[in-house]
Amino acid sequence: MPAFRTPFNGYSVKFSPFYESRLAVATAQNFGILGNGRVHVFSLPPTPNAPIAELISFDTADGVYDLAWSESHDSLLVAAVADGSIKLFDINLPPTQNPLRSFQEHVREIHSVDYNPTRRDSFITASWDDTIKLWALDRPASIRTFKEHAYCVYSAAWNPHHTDVFASASGDCTARIWDVREPGSTMIIPGHDFEILSCDWNKYDGCCIATGSVDKSIRVWDVRSYRAPVSVLNGHGYAVRRVKFSPHQRNLMLSCSYDMTVCMWDYTVEDALMGRYDHHTEFAVGVDMSVLVEGLLASTGWDEMVYVWQHGTNPKAG
Amino acid sequence: MDSNSQQQPGSGPPAKPWERTGASSGPTPFKPPSPGSTSDVVEASGTAKPGEIVSNSDTNTVANRNSLGRPVPTRPWEQQQTYGNMYGGYGSGVNYNSGYGSGMYGSYGGYGGNYGGGLYGNNMYRGGYGGLYGGGMYGGGMYNNGFGGPMGGYGMGTGPYGDQDPNNPFGGPPSPPGFWISFLQMMQGVVNIFGRISVLIDQNTQAFHMFMTALLQLFDRTGMLYGELARFVLRILGIKAKPRKVQGPGRGEPLAPHNPRGNQNYIEGPKAAPTGAWDNVWGNNTSS
Repeated sequence: MPAFRTPFNGYSVKFSPFYESRLAVATAQNFGILGNGRVHVFSLPPTPNAPIAELISFDTADGVYDLAWSESHDSLLVAAVADGSIKLFDINLPPTQNPLRSFQEHVREIHSVDYNPTRRDSFITASWDDTIKLWALDRPASIRTFKEHAYCVYSAAWNPHHTDVFASASGDCTARIWDVREPGSTMIIPGHDFEILSCDWNKYDGCCIATGSVDKSIRVWDVRSYRAPVSVLNGHGYAVRRVKFSPHQRNLMLSCSYDMTVCMWDYTVEDALMGRYDHHTEFAVGVDMSVLVEGLLASTGWDEMVYVWQHGTNPKAG
Repeated sequence: MDSNSQQQPGSGPPAKPWERTGASSGPTPFKPPSPGSTSDVVEASGTAKPGEIVSNSDTNTVANRNSLGRPVPTRPWEQQQTYGNMYGGYGSGVNYNSGYGSGMYGSYGGYGGNYGGGLYGNNMYRGGYGGLYGGGMYGGGMYNNGFGGPMGGYGMGTGPYGDQDPNNPFGGPPSPPGFWISFLQMMQGVVNIFGRISVLIDQNTQAFHMFMTALLQLFDRTGMLYGELARFVLRILGIKAKPRKVQGPGRGEPLAPHNPRGNQNYIEGPKAAPTGAWDNVWGNNTSS
C-alpha cells in the first residue's frame, strides 16, 4: 500500500466504520505546538500500487489532536481541536459549509474523542482541562462533565459491550472506569507509576482493558480484579502513545510509541511482541486497525507520513 | 472505490466483527444497559449537567482526589492564573472578555456554555489578537500577526469561525480590544504554547533525555572545533592561550625553515603585529 505525505504533522488516523477504503487523518502544524490543523479524508486505491487519493480536507484554526468517525452517519466526522473546541464535519459538503457544528466547552486542548459504537448517538472527549465530556448530536451542549482526574485526561474509550460504560486514561497515573448514569467514577485503577496516555477495551471481552503509559509498558487489566495487571507488555523504548485492541482477534493489540515504532502484540502469550514496524522516522502517534478488513493497519506520525499496510507486510513497500 | 457505498446514510455501519460472534466473559461488574438514547439515559439518571464549563480553578479544587496520594505535577499553564487575575484587574473597565463570555450570553439557557466559554470567551485571545485586527475574522489568526512570520501559512479566513458557522448567532465581530488586553492575550498565548511543549515533555521524558544526550554527544564530537573556537576568541581578546615565542616584528625577519606558509603575509604588506594576526589563530606559526 502506498503512503501519503500530509503537509502537517500527523496526530491521529481512523478507518471509517462504513467504507473499507476510507480513512481520516488528523494533523497539526509545527508538531501541534503552534499553528493550524487539518483533517484529511483519504480513499484507498483498489489496487495496492495506485496512490492514495485525498477525498477532501478541512482546515481548522488550531491543531487537530484526534478524530472519530460517526457510527450513525457515514459522512460525519468529529474532530478534537487543540483550542478546546469540537468540530463536526460532513465530508459530503464542501469545506465552505463546514464545520457543521462547533462545540466549545473545554477550556484546554482536547486530546481524544471516541464515538459510542453501540448506541451510536453520542461521543466523549478527553481534555487537558482534566475533564471528560459527554456529547450527543441531539443536544446543543454537552450532556454532562466528568471531573475527577487530577491531571490532564489523555484518552477516553467506550466499552464496546456495555454501552453506558467508558474508560479514561490520565496523567494522574490512573485509569478510571465510568458509567454515564453514575455521579462519579465506578473504578479507579492506579495502573502505572507514570502518566497513562492511552486506554482501550478488548472488543471481545467487556471487562478487559489495556493502558499504555510513559513508563514504556502496556498493561492489560481485568476490571473485575484490577489489583494486578493480567499482562505487562514491555518492548517499547519510549512512552507508549496509543494502544488499540484488534477488532478481529481477541488477543491482538496494536500500539505506537515515541520510540517511532508501531508494535503488534499478543497479550496472551509469553513472548508477546509479534511484530515491530519502524517505518516512521519521527514519533508515531496515531494508529488504527480496520474494522472491515482484517489485518489492515494504518499509522501516522510527526514525520508527516500516513501509512496503510497489511499486517505482516512492509509498510513502505509499494 | 467505496465498495459498500450503497450504504444508506443514517443506518448504522456494518456489524462489528465482535458483534457477530457475541461476547462471553462471564459476569460483569457493570449495570445492564438502559434503553433509550444516551441523552435520555443520562437525564433519567439525574446526573445530567448540560453545558457545564469547568475552569482551571475548579479543577484545582479536585486535585486532592488523586487516588495515589502523591502530588501531581504542576500544570505548565497554571501560572496562567496570574494572567487571569490581571485580566480581572483590567476587566471591569474593558470587560470585553467576560462581557461576551460567561456574562450576558452565558445565561443563554443550556446552550449558553457554548457561547460563554467559547467563541468569544476563553478562546477569544486567539482570534482577538490575530484575526480581528486583520480583517474581522475569528480564530486562526492568533499566531498570524503575533508570531507567525517564520511559520507561515496561517490565517483561516472566514473558515470555521466565520459567518458560516451555524453556531454563531452573532453578527459581525466585536470591536478590537485595547492594547493592554491584546498584550495580555498574547502573553496567554505564549503561556499556552509553553504549556503544550511541557505536556509533550511530560509525556515523553525519555525522548527528552535522548535529545539532551544527543546534544551532548554532538558537543563531544565537535570538541576539537570548540577548542579551536575558544583559542580563536581568546586570541581576539588578546589573551594568549598558551605562552609562545613572539614572532619577529616584520620584514626581513628570518622565518623558521619548517614554516610551510612562508612569507604569504607579505602579499598584504608587512606583518605589523604577528601575535594579533588572524593567520596565527589557527596555529600554523605556533612552532616558530
